[in-house]
Amino acid sequence: MKKIIVENLKYKYPLSEKLALNNVSFEIEQGEFIGVIGRNLSGKSTLCQAMVGLVPHFYKGAYGGKVIIDGLEVRNYSIADISLKVGIVFQNPFTQITGSKMTVYEEIAFGLENLGISRAEMINRIDFALNLLKIAPFKERSPFDLSGGQMQRMAIASIIAMKPEIIVLDEPTSQLDPEGSEEVFRAIQDLSKQGITVILAEHKMEKMAEFCNRILLLDDGKVVDFDVPEKVFSRDDLGEHGVNAPVYTRVCKALNKKKAGTNDYPVTLEEAVRVLGGMGL
Amino acid sequence: MRSISLYTERNTVIHAMDPISKLFYILFALLIPIILPSIKVSIVCVVLGLIFLLVARVFKKTIPVFSFVFLILLTVIIIQGLFRPGNQTTLFHFGPFTLYKEGLMFAFGVAFRVINIVSAFMILILTTKPSDLVESLVRKGLSSKIGYVIISVFQIIPEMMSSMETITDAQRSRGMETEGNLQTRMKAFLPLLGPVILGSLANTKERAMALEVRGFNSKGPKTYLLEEKKYRYSKVVQWGILLGIACALAWRILV
Repeated sequence: MKKIIVENLKYKYPLSEKLALNNVSFEIEQGEFIGVIGRNLSGKSTLCQAMVGLVPHFYKGAYGGKVIIDGLEVRNYSIADISLKVGIVFQNPFTQITGSKMTVYEEIAFGLENLGISRAEMINRIDFALNLLKIAPFKERSPFDLSGGQMQRMAIASIIAMKPEIIVLDEPTSQLDPEGSEEVFRAIQDLSKQGITVILAEHKMEKMAEFCNRILLLDDGKVVDFDVPEKVFSRDDLGEHGVNAPVYTRVCKALNKKKAGTNDYPVTLEEAVRVLGGMGL
Repeated sequence: MRSISLYTERNTVIHAMDPISKLFYILFALLIPIILPSIKVSIVCVVLGLIFLLVARVFKKTIPVFSFVFLILLTVIIIQGLFRPGNQTTLFHFGPFTLYKEGLMFAFGVAFRVINIVSAFMILILTTKPSDLVESLVRKGLSSKIGYVIISVFQIIPEMMSSMETITDAQRSRGMETEGNLQTRMKAFLPLLGPVILGSLANTKERAMALEVRGFNSKGPKTYLLEEKKYRYSKVVQWGILLGIACALAWRILV
């Protein structure tokens, strides 16, 4: 089933001359794990925000084309309506804390209170989210007294508690230390296993190659490629689009070792080992 | 985390009172001395307020506030005692100055009213968690957006203060003088403003988006995670206070 349909999406921020998104079209199936890559300012964040209606409802600006999420056309619904279908997690864990709640537990309840969920259901959902993100031990702490990784997992839990069918993560680990990023990546993988459709914008290509079903490569607001990681990372023009392939792919490219029977280079450690294993290294 | 709230945790009758009742008490403390301008009534109100503060065991916390208030009241007493028009009855002389009875009585009247109002507010502020107060008000029909603004200030201001400290440390490590006389400190303050204010603006935009996607602007009715706190005798206390005000009015009109 098509979960997300984007058709000829064009968008220009107010006060800007340039299109941030230029004729973007793609379709995403239910339960897919999609990676969005591209250099800075290529339109990744704008695209992520277009999925939840922040573009155009929050920023205004010029908007053309269609984004249809699970049958709802984003342009015609409010952000609060769309938030029942799609959740988004941002880069900075600090600014996602509401600042009006005293404990992690209450913080996660914030969205549910706004949506008018009953108390019994709320408690169920919060416990589910706390356990899924493995932050139950901190539930009585102040939201500001967590480490970056814990805070970001709390932000994800706050969104997950709202039971969206799709979750969009806009560089969720870019401000975290390696340990914090690892925690968050593990959590995202768990979400994907739950059947949630995941859209992840990231710069850590090794992780993207490992997790994603398909990769959307953006440059200058346009879709350059949308395909499985092997195809996208085997492109010769990656450098021109400001993206580095995973280190395994770069090594195999340098050695000109393709995956057996295909025209693609390996993108994960395992594949690289399989391809290079026979070299007697 | 640092807190800018003056709330003091104690287990007393006053702490267990409904925040709305405390708001009623503030109204009472404001209105009674206006309705009944006799200085005796003001004294009774002040004593009542002080008794409540003592019962709540927060009297010590009020001392810094009261000492500041007294400083201002002292100037009122001196100026009114010496120079109030209509001063006639001499109390005593010191040097070239004469202290008059009328001015002094007037100043005492002002002083008692101020102390009365300040102590009523202190009862509310020192014995009520800001979040409890706002939640009570939101349940009574205050817009939840205004409620959010009030509560979040208590958490976000300390966050801003700590980011300001980080920026000060960073600037100090690059050799800026941040300590010393007033002029040096003023100079050190200016380069702080840019990063702190611009940073806060950027954060505000991000926080606004994070709130939006969590249904902050949802049109439907809200629910609450925490059950409504049940306060005992709220209705009795509130009606009692209203009755007190009504009696004072009746007294003023009839007697």
